[in-house]
Amino acid sequence: MENRNFHQTWFLTRFSLKRDWLKLALWSVTLIVLFAAVAAKFTTIYDTQASIDEIVKTLKSPSMVSLFGKLSGSAPYSTADVFAGEMTVFMAMMAAIMNFSIIIKNTRGEEDSGLLEIIQSHSVGKLSNLSSSLIELFIINLLIGFFYALGLQFANLTGTDTNGNFLLGLGLGAAGFMFATIAAFLSQLVDNSRSATILSYIVFGIMYIARMSTDVSNPKATWFIPFGWVEKFSTYQENNWLPVVLMLGLSLILSIAALWINDHRDIGSGIIATRPGRAKASAFLRGPLSLFWRLHRTTIIVWVIGLLILGFTYGSIFNTIGDILKTNPAMEKLIGATAVHKANILIIKHFVAILMIVFGVLALFPGIQIINYLKSGESKGYLELIHSKPVSRDYLFTSVLVLGILTSLIALFAGMLGLQLGGASVMKHPVAMSVFLHGFYAYISPVLIILALSACIVGWLPKFAVFGYLYTGFALFVGYFGKLIDLPKWVAKITPFGYIPNVPVRKLDMGTMWWQLGIALTLIIIGYIGYHIRDLKSAN
Amino acid sequence: MMNQNNNAILHIDHLQKNFGKFQALKNVTFDVYPGEVFGFIGPNGAGKSTTIRTLLGILRASGGTATLFGKDVYKDSVSIHKRLAYVPGDVYLWPNLTGGEIIDLFLKLGNTKHNRKTDMMIKRFQLDPTKKARTYSKGNRQKVALIAAFSTDADFYIFDEPTSGLDPLNEEIFQQSVMELKKEGKAVLLSSHILSEVEKMCDRIGIIRSGEIVETGSLSDMRHLTRTVIEFQTMQPTTELQTLQGVHNVTVGTNGLTTFSVDSDQMSYVMGYLASKQIVSLQSTPPTLEDLFMRYYSSNEGR
Repeated sequence: MENRNFHQTWFLTRFSLKRDWLKLALWSVTLIVLFAAVAAKFTTIYDTQASIDEIVKTLKSPSMVSLFGKLSGSAPYSTADVFAGEMTVFMAMMAAIMNFSIIIKNTRGEEDSGLLEIIQSHSVGKLSNLSSSLIELFIINLLIGFFYALGLQFANLTGTDTNGNFLLGLGLGAAGFMFATIAAFLSQLVDNSRSATILSYIVFGIMYIARMSTDVSNPKATWFIPFGWVEKFSTYQENNWLPVVLMLGLSLILSIAALWINDHRDIGSGIIATRPGRAKASAFLRGPLSLFWRLHRTTIIVWVIGLLILGFTYGSIFNTIGDILKTNPAMEKLIGATAVHKANILIIKHFVAILMIVFGVLALFPGIQIINYLKSGESKGYLELIHSKPVSRDYLFTSVLVLGILTSLIALFAGMLGLQLGGASVMKHPVAMSVFLHGFYAYISPVLIILALSACIVGWLPKFAVFGYLYTGFALFVGYFGKLIDLPKWVAKITPFGYIPNVPVRKLDMGTMWWQLGIALTLIIIGYIGYHIRDLKSAN
Repeated sequence: MMNQNNNAILHIDHLQKNFGKFQALKNVTFDVYPGEVFGFIGPNGAGKSTTIRTLLGILRASGGTATLFGKDVYKDSVSIHKRLAYVPGDVYLWPNLTGGEIIDLFLKLGNTKHNRKTDMMIKRFQLDPTKKARTYSKGNRQKVALIAAFSTDADFYIFDEPTSGLDPLNEEIFQQSVMELKKEGKAVLLSSHILSEVEKMCDRIGIIRSGEIVETGSLSDMRHLTRTVIEFQTMQPTTELQTLQGVHNVTVGTNGLTTFSVDSDQMSYVMGYLASKQIVSLQSTPPTLEDLFMRYYSSNEGR
């Protein structure tokens, strides 16, 4: 503590924990409850060996491996094995989102807002803020991991053992901390929190895609991907602690690297510096719509290209998924080549039906972000000068709405296009684009409902703007997991996606589409009214 | 009075604004005329920015009326804003856009374009327009908003504490630029804490306290409400001075000089008293805006 670089680190850690307690509590409780609740539920769903064998067969199919990671070990499988197989990758993804948002906010974010400068002006070490943020997240991840382990102990699934419970729990905690250090390191490279967030998610996306393709093609190669380490726990089988050691080792290296860069740079700067730009606005930048496009340009491009790549990667495993001959070589003789092809296509369609919710939700995020800009830009004070110009509120509202809707739809379309192209790159008889377009058309109305809901909230209750994300996240959870954890049917009906089941296996229902569009339109109109009459907040 | 109302650019009558139960504006009433700089002063939290935001149609008034160019500030905000320029106290700019881009965007939003005056203003304020807004200091961010406002051909200008981040040199440039607007017959509403600035530039002043306008008028109109500070020496002792009506803060200095302040309306009586004691030396300091300001704010009883 005498070291001047780390002076007051503990004090800042305690301070951060106190300042962030609500956020940390919400995240921890949500994750722990989710994890434990699913575990508890599993005891009732997969109680017979027959039901376990059934789900194992599903989980071993390439499509499921691409979504949930490779199920480790060998038969006979127990309920606990199924649980670990289904939940590990998903919980690690959740951990990444949580850790990214908190660490970037507490390091780069504090630097952007100038708060760090005030803190640094006191008797505080140069590296104290970064190190205290890392310690804060270490503590939180450790606690979450510990509670995961406890939850598993209490759920007492068939086939668990204490070693495995703690391995899975603490392993997921370690993964969370590893993501925190990745983001902390990347935050040192760029000079603002927005770029840090984008960069972190790009790295995460690359790891996700790499993990997915190695899982399907060559599981050993997954060892080279930090995100893939969580799949290597082999929980309840070999109970391998090596991945945890690797994760902590990488975390340590990244922490040291981040601290080193932080020590060698000036406050507010990064390795990749912001360059000067143009002295005059381009002819294109001329009004709210072009301004909002300009502000979200990078985000939009990253999401659209990201979804295209994700789609392509999923598409490129279609040949593995849609090949029933692999598992059943006698099939061709039995039903003939055409029938086999049809059956293959059907399997792929079923896979696409599961993917639809993933693409739908991912496409929604940038759209919601753009619509919520009316709130975030307002509370940060960016819009105050716009409000003093001859630009009507209706026009502003329309601008974000149009841009948000276009972004979500284009991102969704990019995902579908990626799937088709990915499939075409590996299959002799690729799935026609029309199949994916069916999925796209069917998803337009639920996507619009959620965007309209966000617009409505921004219009009336900007304080609750985050609800759009939560609702979307909920839709993802239900769509992704709903069948696996046997959620009651009405739960799916809480989100608009619940009314569009199994597209593109089933055709789009025009009636559903019309009433959903009607709801979306109503919400938008209500939002317009709210935004028209409410007071606009200011930064101070 | 009716006549005056008719040619006022800004007319505010009993404006009220509540945030929940909190009454941010209780009674705000004043007018601003063409070719005048109206100083809007008051302590922090008195309601200056709330008033301005209501005038901009960002907030909706809970009561009273406010019109700009004869139009309702909320309902007709878009057409009003065509002839209005505004600089907020805290300027927040999009971090990833350059100053130059933001200036041009603001001009385009106001249906004008980057013009000769824009270049002149950029030069005058010595702003580097190629830098991204995230690298600007507070003063530089204010310059961006000021340059955009000054190169807009508006009829009404609102400045909300615009010089709080500027250095004295740029403050001077700001004052000079406002004076040019005044010469062109534009109306300016200037909210400020820098009383010397207000004193120097403003034709009339409105003082707001706890959501109420407590005084409006020209500085000279207001002087009668203030106290003059007098420093004097007399042959005979002035023991009764303290007891005289309108006399405050009598202090006897070590050098034999006595200082006190006197209400303007009691001036002649007190002078008569001092003269009767054979004045040796006398120096009077005219009331400054600061005295006025202090008098309204420091005491709870007001006037």
